Amino acid sequence: MKKILGTSVVVILAVVMVFVYLHFGEKTADGSKNVTVEVTSQSGEVTSYDVETDALYLVEVMEEIEALTFTVDDGMIMTVNGETADYNVNGAYWALYVNGEYGNYGADRQPVTDGDVFGITYTVA
Amino acid sequence: MEKTKITSREIVTVGLMVAVIEVCKIAFMGLPNIELTSFWIILFALYFGKSIYFAIPVFIVIEGLIFGINLWWIMYLYTWPLLAIAVRMFKKVKSAFFWSVFSGVFGLLFGALNSLVYIFLGETLSAGLKSAFAWWIAGIPYDLIHGAGNFVIMLILYKPITNIIETYKKKQG
Repeated sequence: MKKILGTSVVVILAVVMVFVYLHFGEKTADGSKNVTVEVTSQSGEVTSYDVETDALYLVEVMEEIEALTFTVDDGMIMTVNGETADYNVNGAYWALYVNGEYGNYGADRQPVTDGDVFGITYTVA
Repeated sequence: MEKTKITSREIVTVGLMVAVIEVCKIAFMGLPNIELTSFWIILFALYFGKSIYFAIPVFIVIEGLIFGINLWWIMYLYTWPLLAIAVRMFKKVKSAFFWSVFSGVFGLLFGALNSLVYIFLGETLSAGLKSAFAWWIAGIPYDLIHGAGNFVIMLILYKPITNIIETYKKKQG
């Protein structure tokens, strides 16, 4: 009886979480989309890339831009066009903005929808 | 106020606990959210009592030294101590199944617990709550893996490892 009760606790909690994820989670959009990626370097120079893409997540869009070089570690953007933001050195990081608002996700989990403008900005905390 | 004295034997045990947790942490790093840290903290809190409260801060400091101080490190500051405190509340329970459920639930709630940090990062409380909620939801698939992994690991390893710990404790007298 106790085992059934214990298993039920885990299963019910997991099911509720799946429901919340499916209901409230950010959704990706299939098909062709036009998006813009704007990189702001440490010196404040802005480089803009307009892309037509089928990608579901931002990191895939970034991979499609030939002129853009970058490294990502666990969703965190580390280096962009040869410029590394190292939080441990000077509190710097690459901030990710989605349509002007601070992004809630890493580049690997940031969904892409048509018309999105992604800002990747060198920021010092 | 009563002073807590820590013996040299306890210091050695704390060192062993930290070493075991850290080695397993690094060994499992390649697998997303499959980890033995919860498993060890639960068993150590059960079998070595309050020594776990010395081991956890040492573990967290070492983690910071190895991987750098970042947001996840702030999460560690309260998540692992909370786990140990929760375990101590049920310290008399010695059931593999109970601890599997306990560890599984902890794994499922890990993202929710960690997302609390984001509440304080928002410019306003409402922005912080929104950010924490979004962060938690985005990580739910990982929390599900975490919960399942924790459950199975505890179910398989509870008996063999508690036998080893009991033998160690008998030898220590």
